[in-house]
Amino acid sequence: MVPALILFGVFVIYPIFYIFAASLYEWDGINQAVYVGLQNYIEMLTDDRAFRVAIRNSLYWTVLTIFPQMILGFVLASLLTSGIPFQNAFRVIFFMPAIISPVVLGIIWQRIYAPFGGLLADLAWETGARFLMQPYLSDPKIAIFSAIAVNVWQWTGFSMLMYVAGLNSLPREVLSAAEVDGAGSLQRTRYIVLPMLRHVHQTLILLGVIGTLQTFALVYMLTKGGPNHATEMLPTYIFQKAFTLQGMGYASALAVALLAIALSASIFQVRVLGSRFTIGG
Amino acid sequence: MLRRVTLALLSMVLLLPGLTATAQDEVVIRFRSWSPVIATTEAMIEAFNAENPNILIEPNITNYTEYLVDLQTMAAGGALPDLIGLEPGALTQQYRDQLMPMQDCAVSTWGEDWEAQFYPVGIEQARLGNPEGDDNIYGLPVLTQTINMWYTVPIFEEAGVGPPATYDELLELADMFNAQGIAPVMIGAGDGWIRRDVYMQLIHNIAPGLIYQAEDGEASFTDEPFVEAMTWWKRLFDDGIFQTGALGMSHYPAAVEQIQGGRAAMFPMGAWWQQQAANPNPPPLDQNLQGYAPFKFPDVTGMGAPEDLLGGIDVMLGVTRASANPEAACKVITDWISGAGAQALINTYNDLPAYIGLRPESFGSANQEAVWDLFTEDWLATVKYARQLKSPDVKQALEDALSGVAAGEMTPAEGMQMVQDATM
Repeated sequence: MVPALILFGVFVIYPIFYIFAASLYEWDGINQAVYVGLQNYIEMLTDDRAFRVAIRNSLYWTVLTIFPQMILGFVLASLLTSGIPFQNAFRVIFFMPAIISPVVLGIIWQRIYAPFGGLLADLAWETGARFLMQPYLSDPKIAIFSAIAVNVWQWTGFSMLMYVAGLNSLPREVLSAAEVDGAGSLQRTRYIVLPMLRHVHQTLILLGVIGTLQTFALVYMLTKGGPNHATEMLPTYIFQKAFTLQGMGYASALAVALLAIALSASIFQVRVLGSRFTIGG
Repeated sequence: MLRRVTLALLSMVLLLPGLTATAQDEVVIRFRSWSPVIATTEAMIEAFNAENPNILIEPNITNYTEYLVDLQTMAAGGALPDLIGLEPGALTQQYRDQLMPMQDCAVSTWGEDWEAQFYPVGIEQARLGNPEGDDNIYGLPVLTQTINMWYTVPIFEEAGVGPPATYDELLELADMFNAQGIAPVMIGAGDGWIRRDVYMQLIHNIAPGLIYQAEDGEASFTDEPFVEAMTWWKRLFDDGIFQTGALGMSHYPAAVEQIQGGRAAMFPMGAWWQQQAANPNPPPLDQNLQGYAPFKFPDVTGMGAPEDLLGGIDVMLGVTRASANPEAACKVITDWISGAGAQALINTYNDLPAYIGLRPESFGSANQEAVWDLFTEDWLATVKYARQLKSPDVKQALEDALSGVAAGEMTPAEGMQMVQDATM
C-alpha cells in the first residue's frame, strides 16, 4: 500500500500541485517567474477567444465522434458476426486505422483533403464531381468537422472490435428464446442486444471522452489548430502557449482548466452511467 | 578452461589503466539542435574529428517543435547540453541567462577583427532582442539565409515568360497558370512562418523597416501601411495568385511535394531551398537544382520594390553555462563555422554560410553555381530586414491575423488591431 501511495503522490499529486502553483505565475518555463495571482485564469475566462473555441471544439468532438463511432461500430460488428464470408479479414481491415499513428494519418489526410493536388480534388477534377473539391481544412467553418471525420474514420474500427467482443459474449440461449417467442431481428436488437451491451456502450463513452480531452497529434498534424484557431483543442492550445509562446504559466492555467473538465466529466459519467466498465455483456 | 578465464581477467586488469587514461583524455560535447539535419551534422562531426579525435560529439537532432520541448525540459531539469542550436530573437533571449557570451571564443579563433569576417547581417541579428547595454553575443551564426521567391524553370520556359516584377504581371501569370491547372504561387499557408514571411515582404514593400518600429512601440500595428499590407495579403488569395485551399496546406511537406512534382509555377521560400539538390534520390527538378531559380518578391504595391532583402541568421550555436568543457565547445562551434566542419556543411548546400568566403567544393550544374553566386555575392550583402520578430506573442498574433483575414473571418483592420493588442 505504501509504495502505491508514494507512486501516486509522486506521479499524480505532485504534478497537479506543481501545475496549479505554476498557473499563478507569469513564467516562460526557464527564467524567474513573476507572481500574478489569478490573472492567468481571469484572462483565460474573459479575454481568450482561442480558449473558448477550444472548449466549443471539445464539445463538437465529444458528440460528433463518440456517437457516430458507436453507431457505425455496432453496425459493422453486427455484420461481421453474422457469418458473412471473409469476416475476419474485414475485421482486420476496419480495425487497421486504429493502430496507425495519428501523425501518419494527419499527413495522409492532409493530402487527401488538399483542394489543390489532393486526392479528392484530383478525383473531382477527373470525374467532374466538383462537389468533392472543398476547402476542407482551410475554411474555418468546416475545418473542425473535417478533422472530426478523420477521427471517426480512425476509431470506428475500435468500436467495432469492442462490439464484436460484446456480441460474441452474449448468452445464445437468451437470443434463441427471443427468436422462439417470435421476436424479429430488429426487436431482438432493440430490446435484447443493445441493453445487454450496456457496459460496452459505457466503456466506449468513457474512452471517447478521455480521447477527446487528449486529442493532440491528429489535429496538430492536420491543421496545427488553425486556421486562426478554428480547429484548436485544449491540448494543442496548451502546447502552443507553453512551448511556442514561452507562456508556461498561462499554459499551466489552461492545464488546470483541462484537469477540472476531465474530473467533472469523469464524476458525471460515474454518477449517470455507473462505474462498471467492461467489454462483456 | 579455468586458465583461459584467469588469463582473460588478468589481461583486462592490465589493460584497464590504459583504457582509463584514454577515457580521461576524451572530452564529450553534447549537442542538440533542429538544424543542420542529422546526416549533415554527422558529416560535420566526421570532418571535425579528423583533426580533433579527442573531442567526442554526441548529437541529437530533432524537428524544431520537438526541439523546443526538449530544450525546455532539459533547462528545467538543470541538464542543458554543452552546445545548443538557437534562432536570433525570442529563442536566444529566453535562454540568455543560461548561455555564455561568445566574444572571447571568437577573438581567440579569428582575432580582434573577427566580426568583419562574417556577413554583417549575421552579427547584427545575433544580438536581436538583447537588453539595452548588453552587447554580448550569446550565439555565433553558422548559417544565414535570404527570404525570397523561386520559380520553376521548365514551367516558365514552356510558357515563354519571365518572373514577375509587378502585381499586374503576377496577376497575368496567375490567370495563365490557373487555366493550365498549375498553382501560380504554391504556398502551404497552414504554417504560420510562411504566412509571416510573405507578409514581412509585403510590409517592407510598403514601408521598409516600419514593423520593427511598431515592435518597439514607436509606431502602431494599426497604422495604415500595416493594414494596406494585410489587404494585399488578402488579395493574393482572392485574386487566385495562391493556389486554392492554401490555408489548409502545410508548406513542409505538402506544398513542397507539389512543387517537386512540377505543379507550382512559383513559391515563397528562401536560400535554403538549394539543399533540395543534396537530398538522396532527388526528383528531376531538384537534381543539381536544375529546375528552380530565385527571384525577388514582386513590387506588388507599385511603390518600388525595396533593394534590401528580408533574411538573416538561419541557425546559430551557443555554449551553455552548464558545459564542463567550454573550450572544447568553442573549438567545435568555430570549426563548424569556418573550418573543416563548415566545409562539410556547406558542401550540402544546406543554406548560406555566415562566414565570408566559404563555397561548396563542387556544383552539379551551371544553374546551381549561378544561384549560389547570386546569393552569396549579390543578395546576402543586401539582407537588411530580420525575418524574426522579438516577441513570440506579437509573432503569433500576426500569424493568427494573417490566417483570420485570409479566411475572411476578420477585416485587415481588425487583424492588425489583434496584432497591436498583443503588444500590450
